[in-house]
Amino acid sequence: MIEAVALTKRYGAVEAVRGASFRVDQGEIVGLLGPNGAGKTTIMKILTGYHYPTAGTVTVNGVDVTEDPVAVKRALGYLPENAPLYGDLTVREYLDFVADARSLTGAGRPEAVERTLEVCGLASQVDRPIDELSKGFRQRVGLAQAIIHDPAILILDEPTTGLDPNQIQEIRHLIRDLGSNKTVILSTHILQEVEAVCDRVLILHEGRIAASGTTEEIGRELKGDVMYGIRLVGPAPGAAARQALAGLGKVLPGGTENGETRDFRLSAAEGVQGEEIYRWAVEHGLVLRELVRERYRLEDIFSTLTTRTPGEKEGASP
Amino acid sequence: MKLVLSIFRKEMRSYFNSPIAYIVIVFFLVFTSAWLFFVSQFVLRDTASLRPYFAIMPIVFIGLVPALTMRSWAEEFKLGTAETLFTLPYRETELVAGKFLGAFGLLFLVILLTVPLPITLLPLGNFERGEILGEYLGIALLGAAATAVGLFISSVARNQISAFILGAVALLFLTLVHQVNAVVDLPAWLASVFNYLSLQYHVQSFIRGVLDTRDLVYFLAITFLFLYLNTKTLVLRKWR
Repeated sequence: MIEAVALTKRYGAVEAVRGASFRVDQGEIVGLLGPNGAGKTTIMKILTGYHYPTAGTVTVNGVDVTEDPVAVKRALGYLPENAPLYGDLTVREYLDFVADARSLTGAGRPEAVERTLEVCGLASQVDRPIDELSKGFRQRVGLAQAIIHDPAILILDEPTTGLDPNQIQEIRHLIRDLGSNKTVILSTHILQEVEAVCDRVLILHEGRIAASGTTEEIGRELKGDVMYGIRLVGPAPGAAARQALAGLGKVLPGGTENGETRDFRLSAAEGVQGEEIYRWAVEHGLVLRELVRERYRLEDIFSTLTTRTPGEKEGASP
Repeated sequence: MKLVLSIFRKEMRSYFNSPIAYIVIVFFLVFTSAWLFFVSQFVLRDTASLRPYFAIMPIVFIGLVPALTMRSWAEEFKLGTAETLFTLPYRETELVAGKFLGAFGLLFLVILLTVPLPITLLPLGNFERGEILGEYLGIALLGAAATAVGLFISSVARNQISAFILGAVALLFLTLVHQVNAVVDLPAWLASVFNYLSLQYHVQSFIRGVLDTRDLVYFLAITFLFLYLNTKTLVLRKWR
């Protein structure tokens, strides 16, 4: 349904996307996961025909975005990051405009507007200028303009940023409901969001697809691992100690040294528990000040996934 | 065409939901009338002609038209709404035509609102009605060309303030470039180039009540040239 091949986008000297290839099939809810600057937004801008790629192609239903952007745009609904809207229009005026732009006519048109207002919970806000709406309602208006024409494909760029926890829950439910009969691509930098909403994840890192798989696959892969934050006091571990540590797991990059203490994190091998690390420290004469079992951060997932599957680093696989 | 009108309607709503439309209308009507009665001393001159009234309009447009067009694209890019607008199923030509009709529609309304003034003055003297019609046509054509220039500048400017200033400078140049000939003695060919470029030079015959197809062609050519360039800048933005 959506196919990107070797997508590259340069903005001046900055290479925002570097040869990303992926496929999204009909009916999937796919999450683009990555930290800020990983290329999520750029990919979405290319998918929606707002920007054209420097190299590579995107086809939506077999149509190349740069060749027939209007046909592609007809098939999609798009919520850009931060839901940019015309603040001086009221919600109804704005949706009227979008309905016009989507060429909705006849009896279906008022129906579509009313249905969208209801689905997005905007019925009470129709006559307010968008500038006066809260962030949560603005986000709903953004979503409303994306779904008013009942598109087969929905592209949502960080649909829950800036919302409070209740609003986040509501929007996630809404996306789940919409996703039951649509293809949805959404971007986020929140791991739980992907777990809550998506069927499949594409993990982006520095403009490349670092990994991809179903949420279960990636979740299983990560949950099998336990990570420990370790703080040592005194001299650095010697070669023998470091070798012994390698048997317990993998030291993640990005350790810090602060005066007499040194911090690092260990992605523990299977079955390794805290007491093994404690014993390791004692055996090698190291002083353990802290040992904390930590939750994975997105950055750790990247370093784990990118180093574990080097073959996928170039982003060639779904 | 329906798609073009959808943008036109949205633009009109935006103008009238914000103070800008009202400010532009009041400023234009008050300034041009004050000019006619106080500066050009219409009553004292005792001549049944509205030429001074229409002659000042191109000068007022230098500031007025950029005020109408400055937001058109620059604000869309600044606020990010361009992203929603450009991912709706519009062609670039439809976007540009809609934006143009929006800005020109408001300008046209402003011009229409001046009509009561000549109508009130008509019974007072022996005015040439044909001349007044020609004057309106000339001003409308000049307004269209100026709007196209302002829109184009809004599409390349970084924000609405620079769109306004650049637009005003461009229109100042385009309106008054033929005045160079009044100051400097240029070779004939260069003088005629400056004359040909000038918006005001071409509107003068309309204001005298003469319809010249060359002037008509000039205004339409400027309008379509800048609208065409505008579609190109929109496409270029996708590739940048």
